[in-house]
Amino acid sequence: MHRIKSLFLLLTVLSLLVGGVALAQDDGLKLTGWPYEVDVVTENLGRFTDQTGHDAVFLPFPSNEYRDKMVASFVAGTEFDVAYVRDSYLAEWAAAGWILPISGLEGADELLADLPQGIIDQMSYEGEVYGLPYYSGTQVLAYNQAHLDGAGVMSPPETWDEMAEQAQAIKDAGVVEHPILMELRSGENYLLRSLEIITAAHGGRFFDENYNPEFHLPDSPFRQGLEWIKTNLEAGLIDPASLTNAEVDTLMMAGTNSFMATTDYTLKAMNDPEQSNEAGNIKNALIPGANDQRSGTIGYVRLYSITNGAEDMDAAWQLVQFLGGKDATGVYYVPKRWALEFGLGFSPAPLYEDEEVRNSISGWIDPDLLNEQGNYAISRAYRFVPFFSDWEIGSWGPLQAIILGEADPDDVLNELAEEWIELKEDWGY
Amino acid sequence: MQQRARLRLAVIYIGAAAVLLGTVGPFLWLVSSSFQYERQLLNIPPQWLPNPIVLDSYREIFEGAVLGEESGVPYQSRIFLRSFANSFFVAGSVAAIAVLVGAYAAYPLARLTFRGRSVLLFGILASRMIPALSLAIPIVLVAKRIGMSDKIVTLVFINLSFILPYVIWLLQSYFKTIPIELEDAGRIDGCSRLQVVHKIILPLSLPGLTSAGILAFLLTWGEFLFALLLSETPASYTSTVVVSLFATDVDVSFVSIITAGVVSVIPPIGFALIFQRFIISGLLSGSLKG
Amino acid sequence: MQSKIAETRKELPQGMLAIFFSAPAVLIIAATILVPFGMAVFLSLHNWNLKRPGRERFIGLENYTDWLTDSDFWEPLRTTFTFAIGAVILILAISLLIALLLNEKFPGRGVVRAMLLVPWAIPSVVNALLWKWLLDPNYGLINAVFLELRLIDSYQAWLGNMPGVMIWLVIAYSWIHIPLATLLLLSGLQTIPGDIYESAIVDGASVWQRFAFITLPLLRPMLSIVIIFEMIFALKVFDIIFVLTAGGPADATNVLGWTIYTETFRKLDFGAGSSIAMLLGAITLALAILFYVFLDKGVEQ
Repeated sequence: MHRIKSLFLLLTVLSLLVGGVALAQDDGLKLTGWPYEVDVVTENLGRFTDQTGHDAVFLPFPSNEYRDKMVASFVAGTEFDVAYVRDSYLAEWAAAGWILPISGLEGADELLADLPQGIIDQMSYEGEVYGLPYYSGTQVLAYNQAHLDGAGVMSPPETWDEMAEQAQAIKDAGVVEHPILMELRSGENYLLRSLEIITAAHGGRFFDENYNPEFHLPDSPFRQGLEWIKTNLEAGLIDPASLTNAEVDTLMMAGTNSFMATTDYTLKAMNDPEQSNEAGNIKNALIPGANDQRSGTIGYVRLYSITNGAEDMDAAWQLVQFLGGKDATGVYYVPKRWALEFGLGFSPAPLYEDEEVRNSISGWIDPDLLNEQGNYAISRAYRFVPFFSDWEIGSWGPLQAIILGEADPDDVLNELAEEWIELKEDWGY
Repeated sequence: MQQRARLRLAVIYIGAAAVLLGTVGPFLWLVSSSFQYERQLLNIPPQWLPNPIVLDSYREIFEGAVLGEESGVPYQSRIFLRSFANSFFVAGSVAAIAVLVGAYAAYPLARLTFRGRSVLLFGILASRMIPALSLAIPIVLVAKRIGMSDKIVTLVFINLSFILPYVIWLLQSYFKTIPIELEDAGRIDGCSRLQVVHKIILPLSLPGLTSAGILAFLLTWGEFLFALLLSETPASYTSTVVVSLFATDVDVSFVSIITAGVVSVIPPIGFALIFQRFIISGLLSGSLKG
Repeated sequence: MQSKIAETRKELPQGMLAIFFSAPAVLIIAATILVPFGMAVFLSLHNWNLKRPGRERFIGLENYTDWLTDSDFWEPLRTTFTFAIGAVILILAISLLIALLLNEKFPGRGVVRAMLLVPWAIPSVVNALLWKWLLDPNYGLINAVFLELRLIDSYQAWLGNMPGVMIWLVIAYSWIHIPLATLLLLSGLQTIPGDIYESAIVDGASVWQRFAFITLPLLRPMLSIVIIFEMIFALKVFDIIFVLTAGGPADATNVLGWTIYTETFRKLDFGAGSSIAMLLGAITLALAILFYVFLDKGVEQ
């Protein structure tokens, strides 16, 4: 008994000692986000402090739970002045008043003038722009050149049907079992993103510019895409891992699959010999088309926004301009650094012509094809209404049921359309 | 008889091997993965043993802890081992306080007759019926309002209140198994209730108290939700938060996450190793023979 | 179970003693939980969507009646029960076996006991990775092992369809929870005095008889605690769903814990999220009381 008592005592005393270390307080600007290359961000902030005299610190949170962490932080009254935002929840955060518009702030127009309209749309809510881009890009088709060679396929597919034929050839040649990967899992940035891509590539979209549903209409591009997925999943051409895996891109690196519509920057990892067994074999092509449409895709933006917790608005705006736009010397310092050293996609027009940037990314992706793919990105105003994720969450199960052949498409799609219309009316859109 | 004994041992060892295979097997595979190159994780079929043995991610974690920023290793690796201090503080305090406070609360529930006993028993457990997820935001809100967010003391309180109900239930059930005659003997000798608890109940409950302590320590060590939601700066990160920080959104290094996970398992296992021999103490059976 | 001797000393009444003994614990719990719990109840009675600031209003029990008339409550409830029943049975069966094994004396027992705790100590983010890797349809360990053992003839997508996804979720969840249950059962087994077995052996009782007539009845208090604990844990399951399936495929693993999460953190509808959490809490409490009356009261008689 004595030994345990003393052990307990020792433990308590020890932990009290360690816990008693005073916590440092910081009065400068606080930036939060997900923990990608924390030291580079901190270095950049050092440059910001040198140029402006404002102290700034980066306090990141785990990527997978970042959104939830920030919801709690905003509700309680956030400490952070500037935060990373993904376009998929921009509308909700803006509707809740957690992030502030930058439209009309001094110098905003000039920076926005350098950005393509598509990117500005993806950072907007009800006509106001809510930040400047951190990184951005489009979904591209990644394919494994070695697999195509192995099946005697000469060039990557230009249509979805051609992709299915090539996949069949690859499967028949015994190269891989299920050549096509798609992100069909439940969750933000999986199933719906894939369906948006295939719908865009069939010349359609989910909703029109007045937010009326189009996806459920008879023979809509959405239905064609859904049908294509269902057929090829049944045929074993689409990997069943598509329905379950969160990190599908690792399968491209494992070499078990030949085609995947993916975010542009993942090609860097796929072609990195440290991480990938297929380094050098993964190439990018235009997302295939259908219905006389050459291609179609969607873009994405990660942005820096000023939060409603910002005490010094001027300083916070200065920080956003520094991170997403130009530094005090008038150059796109931070965006260029991300592009040059880390291969993150960029939006400001001047960087497209930058020789240095072009050369650095061409090691793992074809910059011209990437550029061309960008032209096929559809505008998705419907994603930037506050009720989109309410609808999206309820759509995963029913849409997967269609894909798995467990539910009748007509019933499900009409019901989903009704749910959307109900939400739309409720919100007065 | 000797043959019987041998058969018994054989059955036991086959069983023990199955248990080890089932519990430690997957973990050993994690350990093996932590010594591999990133791309080797994707080999088909999986690579059982690391070849060559790659120590990079371990080196980063230990160099980062010792040298800090001079080590030149990523941020996550630098703050990882330091976060163990917070985890130790929180889990250690919770285990100690929960067992102490919980034992006193459990005694009347096990031994006394009073009105409202069932109400108290279920009132305590009812506090754990609502999923933590829906209490999370109110708790964060309150903590912020009273200036208690970003403090690890807050984590001690929250974990304590979440774990106490289990500890109390566990201990009251354990106390009931102690023969009432022993307690009566003490009371005849003139012990007060408090003395009965101190001199008879607690010493005889060592296995139960230890189980409760291990339960509290491990549950707290692994707690993630509140550790994440209540922290704002690295000063209050616990190890589970930092392990999750290795997931970076772009360019995730799975080997780093796995290594961090393997390292963070060591303290709770060590804790359990030190304390769990008291679970099998033989005290109780010994005392009954008299 | 009450003491048969008369009060030999002047002492506080037992009710006062109970308050005195349990006050610290009750205060700690109340101080932390009471206000947030009150807030959650308050929210559950309101139309409270964070995306619509300024439009919060009291609506009485409307959130509750909405859920109770909605298949979005009943379907996940059924899934939750399916999961919980499977998990509790699996955990109970395996941890009882392991606890009986570890209750025997043999060289190396300490090591096995310590290693048993490993699954419990692995942080959730790593657990997620571990199970994703084990179950991966293309490079997963389970596929490789099963193929080697000729249990399957080609790699499977374990989480891709029913009932496979539910079975594997139950297994993954149980793997993490078995250590706790085993630990509790083992400490319960330790309270059974060895001499009872010795006299039973003298009386010629078989292993099975000893288990059925000595071990099981005497283990019953701890067994009931384990069942109640594991049931509470399993009904609230969320973590493993979050990392492995996100409720899919086709809502096959959409449990109430997941619905509470999406309503609260994704739809930011705190009214709906709190009310469904209250419903789950009420169901869990009712079951816990039922189990307790059924299992534990029987012991006292």
